[in-house]
Amino acid sequence: MSDLKPLPIVLAAAVALGVAATILSLRGEPGFDAVRLGPWDSWPRLGNSEIDPYARAVSAVEGALPLGGGEGLAFVAQADASGSPLDARCDYQISGAAPPARFWTLTAYDVAGRLRANTAGRYGLTSAALLRSADGAFSITAAREARPGNWLPLGEKSRFILVLRAYQANTSALAGAFEGLTLPTITRAVCS
Amino acid sequence: MSDREILLRREIWFGRVLALIPWLLALLLGAVAVHLILILTLPALAPGSAYRQFARSLPLGEKLVLARAEPSTSRPSFADPFAAIALCRFDLKQGPLRLRASADGDRPLSVSVRLADGTVIYSAADRQTPGGRFNIVIVTQAQADAQDAARERTEQDDSEEANKPSAPPEDELRLISPGKTGFAVFRVLALRESDYETAVARIDAVSCSMEKAQ
Repeated sequence: MSDLKPLPIVLAAAVALGVAATILSLRGEPGFDAVRLGPWDSWPRLGNSEIDPYARAVSAVEGALPLGGGEGLAFVAQADASGSPLDARCDYQISGAAPPARFWTLTAYDVAGRLRANTAGRYGLTSAALLRSADGAFSITAAREARPGNWLPLGEKSRFILVLRAYQANTSALAGAFEGLTLPTITRAVCS
Repeated sequence: MSDREILLRREIWFGRVLALIPWLLALLLGAVAVHLILILTLPALAPGSAYRQFARSLPLGEKLVLARAEPSTSRPSFADPFAAIALCRFDLKQGPLRLRASADGDRPLSVSVRLADGTVIYSAADRQTPGGRFNIVIVTQAQADAQDAARERTEQDDSEEANKPSAPPEDELRLISPGKTGFAVFRVLALRESDYETAVARIDAVSCSMEKAQ
């Protein structure tokens, strides 16, 4: 029996290590199959039955309702075009190519996935409501303070995440040919 | 210390290290097992999952229209403030669930069907369906087989016209679910800020109803 003396310690250590490894893995990205397009990341399998067990666990713990593949695709940006983390103390210009979708929305969140409180009470922009130039081009300014044109309020907390949702996306463009796809660029402007 | 004593001490130390190896292996295997069990069970057990937060206690055949996402909204996380969302729960042990929705042509409408662990087993948008209408019945494989058998029987016996089960509507999509419990999510998108109430009115018009099992 004395040979089994370390058993309780080994069992407790195994449980602790397993729990720690799980917590660490849930803090990572939601899935292994990220598609990266400039600063934008997407996880197409979150929305279909091929979802991997880690992505399923992350999604459940976060309490998210990811878009189904037939509904559209969400792209997440945590950094600007230069790779610097998004910071609400700065203004950002978001412009360029619109996603190939029937309709899209752009929204800012905090890192926990909550919309960002702001005095304007506006939490996002839609492709249908954008002000555009004669050639259809658009430019959005994400900033704390009100800006002329397409303004996305950022609220007070500094770290934030942008989510671009392409609803009823052209699936041949999005699912099959990500390499040829371009999304709006995110360029840092002035910082306070 | 003599050479013999040094040798003896080395042997004792080596023996102790050897004796540790099985325990280290057991520790590693145990940690991997705990990790895998947690990852595989969390989707069904996580208290904050969308199913547990919204659908688990929802009566069958009833729908829940979620409040519009605001900064105080923690669940669902990363919610789109332009999406009006309704959910229905299904429990196929109690019978199939029928979903009906139709788009108004302007505002995008989509439907997704998810298992209780969050796996999306079906999703589509209004432009992929005839007339922008959804008529989906969620069934198990056994329920689908029973429906098919009942239809075959009545096709062979024309004399029992009165008892003939109605043929499935042309626009019906029969979705065979690999799991017995889950939920359906309807989304109607507001095209702009001022359009949200209209999107809510559209989402109010979607329906979920329990069907009798054959």
